Amino acid sequence: MSIEISSIAEALDQAARRAKPLAQFSPHTPFSLDQAYEIQRASMQRRYDDGERRIGIKLGFTSRAKMQQMGVDSLIWGWLTDAMLEADGGEVALSRYIHPRAEPEVCFLVGRTIDRPLTLLEAADHIEAVAPAIEIIDSRYEAFKFSLEDVVADNCSSSGLVVGPWSRDLAGLDNAGVLMRLDGQLVQAGSTAAILGNPLRSLVEAAKLVSEAGLSLPAGSLIMAGAATAAEALRPGVHVSVDVAGFGETAFTCV
Amino acid sequence: MHSALIEAAERLRQAQATGRPCAPVRELIAAAQADEAGADPVALAYAVQQHNTRLAREQGRRRVGFKVGLTSRAVQQQLGVDQPDFGVLFADMAVGDGQPIAAEAVLQPKVEAEIALVLGRDLDHERHTLADLIRATDFALPAIEVVGSRIADWDIRLADTIADNASSGAFVLGSRPVRLEALDLVRCGMKLTRRGEPVSVGAGAACLDNPLNAAVWLADTMARFGEPLRAGDVLLTGALGPMVAAAPGDVFHAEIQGLGSVTAAFAQSQ
Repeated sequence: MSIEISSIAEALDQAARRAKPLAQFSPHTPFSLDQAYEIQRASMQRRYDDGERRIGIKLGFTSRAKMQQMGVDSLIWGWLTDAMLEADGGEVALSRYIHPRAEPEVCFLVGRTIDRPLTLLEAADHIEAVAPAIEIIDSRYEAFKFSLEDVVADNCSSSGLVVGPWSRDLAGLDNAGVLMRLDGQLVQAGSTAAILGNPLRSLVEAAKLVSEAGLSLPAGSLIMAGAATAAEALRPGVHVSVDVAGFGETAFTCV
Repeated sequence: MHSALIEAAERLRQAQATGRPCAPVRELIAAAQADEAGADPVALAYAVQQHNTRLAREQGRRRVGFKVGLTSRAVQQQLGVDQPDFGVLFADMAVGDGQPIAAEAVLQPKVEAEIALVLGRDLDHERHTLADLIRATDFALPAIEVVGSRIADWDIRLADTIADNASSGAFVLGSRPVRLEALDLVRCGMKLTRRGEPVSVGAGAACLDNPLNAAVWLADTMARFGEPLRAGDVLLTGALGPMVAAAPGDVFHAEIQGLGSVTAAFAQSQ
């Protein structure tokens, strides 16, 4: 590993721990997408070394609109750890974040180890349950601005997640209405169809990405499938809820 | 009626007749407003619309319902308004599910997926409640509204679109009626695809938090205009997701959770 990769990984790790934003790297220290994933891995390793535990992965850029906006044609992914889990219905302390935003998602619970590429049919068979979820994304970069490589190095802005009640029945997941409310006011209305046309396709992509990286997702892992609507900025005192039609609701209050 | 309003109405009719979009009409409406101190520009824009509606009915075009427009927060912000608007639906604007929509039928067409409500009774109170609307609704249908603007490049402000019959063009209804108890009007997901690719997604709540809110607004507004909603009227309640530009040959498929699906197929250009 070159010095640069480990120093960028350390800077990102420190920015996350101290909730202090830093400037993007790509304008002055460009690196490739492969190197970005190396940085991501090195940065996450620092957290595992400190006792954090991997609990799954998140996918990003799962909507066609977002891919076009970023000028890419593939998904990106990052890691989730136990320290990122916030309690459903609980309070989320914003002090540990820089400029957090909430995104409505669905979260899958892996039932059988995923260690090879899967077809859509096989993917559903590897899932134990699905839940409404909220991802709290928080770029470590100033003004939430970044290149594709920057954001991948930054673990795809992954920072927190709240997961609601589990359902074993996946029927109706392809086009379930998704409503996000702040203090009871509707701010986003979308559908799970925004996630690659059907969130189950995220599982196919996740299996491909993980197996290409020579890794696996053991039973019990979580997969955050991608955003169903645009993100909303969080501020202290606000109550956030996400309702996925037929799959229930998850919520938290910012303090 | 002020001559500038008559000119605005004429310009819009010409655009439709010739298939050539026209300049905006907001300046004409502003001119009429300047001459009639205290006149409400929205009321003047509706006067233009109603003038053309009257002519259409004199030609024998049958009114079959209304569309509600400007029902999404994003679109309202874009136009700087806090209210929806309405346009009149005529029988000749209805296209069968999957039937070809002729290229010349709608100028600068765009599509949006909506929930259509079909009324089983009249709504002629001065003010209506959600309960009145639920009782009056016979059934819901999935719908694709083909909006179009007679105004070049969709260069519209509120006055332009109201005068232009709320930019209405054509509409396609599904044919499997669903009663309201079988449908979650607020939480239902909406997926609009073109060749299998989602091009617009949303949910029932994207329409004024609840499509019934749009229907209540329409019922009150039409009572005020002296044209109350009648049994049999079709109400296009408003878009559930962003609208999408349509090109000749495009086929759009809208799927609304619990309500079924409907297809809008644009004919290939000649």
